[in-house]
Amino acid sequence: MGWRWFHQWGSPRWFYERAGRWQLVCGRLALTLLITGSLWGLAFAPIDYQQGNSYRIIYLHVPVAFLAQALYAAMAVCAVVLFVWKMKLADVAMQSIAIMGFAFTALSLISGAVWGKPTWGTYWVWDARLTSMLILAFLYLGVIGLRAAIQDPDQAGKACGILVLVGVVNLPIIKYSVEWWNTLHQPASLKLTEKPAMPASMWIPLLINILGYYVAAAYLILGSMRAIVLERERRSAWVRELVSRA
Amino acid sequence: MSLERRMLTRELKLNVARPGEIFKPMWFLILVVSMLPLALAPDSDLLSEIGSAMIWVATLLALLLNTEHLFQSDFSDGVLEQWLFLNRPLAWLVGLKLIAHWLFHVLPLILITPIAGIMLSVPTDVLWALLVTLVIATPALTCFSGLGAALTLGSSRSGILGVLVMMPLFVPIVILAAGVLIRAMDGSDTLPLLALLGAFSVVAATVVPIAVSAAIRLNIGGSN
Repeated sequence: MGWRWFHQWGSPRWFYERAGRWQLVCGRLALTLLITGSLWGLAFAPIDYQQGNSYRIIYLHVPVAFLAQALYAAMAVCAVVLFVWKMKLADVAMQSIAIMGFAFTALSLISGAVWGKPTWGTYWVWDARLTSMLILAFLYLGVIGLRAAIQDPDQAGKACGILVLVGVVNLPIIKYSVEWWNTLHQPASLKLTEKPAMPASMWIPLLINILGYYVAAAYLILGSMRAIVLERERRSAWVRELVSRA
Repeated sequence: MSLERRMLTRELKLNVARPGEIFKPMWFLILVVSMLPLALAPDSDLLSEIGSAMIWVATLLALLLNTEHLFQSDFSDGVLEQWLFLNRPLAWLVGLKLIAHWLFHVLPLILITPIAGIMLSVPTDVLWALLVTLVIATPALTCFSGLGAALTLGSSRSGILGVLVMMPLFVPIVILAAGVLIRAMDGSDTLPLLALLGAFSVVAATVVPIAVSAAIRLNIGGSN
């Protein structure tokens, strides 16, 4: 009785129906937050005295960079759940998070490059943070590629789980070694770490946008998880019924 | 004769029977090193400056190409399945296989790096540092690329996927090795970095075989 809340996650149908409702809530919340945060940040927040208007890309760049890192951790949690409780839904989550994580990492690299051009005069520098973000993108790509190469979904899920767990142990080591590498080769000419202190009228919209992107990511991941559940359960009676009704 | 000795003898015999597999990576390394002056300039100052890093990267690639099919023949002729029935932990057998691979494939590769170094006029003390970093770092590299090979075992169309998947995990090793080489060029103390590199190898050698054995079980289809 007491474990019902946990065991129901094992039912794809239960998840499919619930996730539809959660998705609706997440979608509305994300839309509200993102419209508020972005309008406030892009139109009403004060201009930066050094960077002018170009700093406003921060309202996209910082949230997606946060998400890119958080999603890898989320993927590792899913991998643990997959191995400990053999929950297939965790594998579904891993599959959709890998793709979303790569998308957010790529978006943060691209938005960073676009921001870098007016501020530093170059699209790319081998700064420690940029480099570890690039490595993170490669790690996500590896997980996606491994899944694509193995045909049996269960086997692919477990292989990806092993890779993600090995990756998450390595991730802090990679991060610190890249930081150390950067100080070894040359003193960084451009530092990302020393931000000018922001007034509240700048960081409040940023905070709203960060929340908004988190909820939007939940919306996207739930949507793709539902699609994957439908595809994997395509032979079951409830999916056939659902499809024939539609 | 103990099981471990028999396994190592078997690996030795297999490698003696197919010496081409040992020579191909060496051939690759020397070819890559010969391409560098052709692509860059025959200027020996320039070459000696970037030579050691170049040899490191080329050796890494040669090792990766070499390890890609590490478990493939054992998988297709059923040896891996037999491993499951032995009274030894699978991770231990995997470890033996990795040790044999390091001895018969990686060590010969390391032994010819001095020739590559001479071709790129790398100074002698840097060359020594290069050799030491390779000896210390390659166990970790072998373990990780073995994991890549084991993960992609079941898919026939994986190609070099195992290499691509594992490459990002090599970042700390490459950075530490480059640090040793830079310090060797300055003539400063390389011991702390070598110790870190060694620690990385020791941890990889103890932990990664467990992950490799999980990947192998997965591909054989037994439940883990």
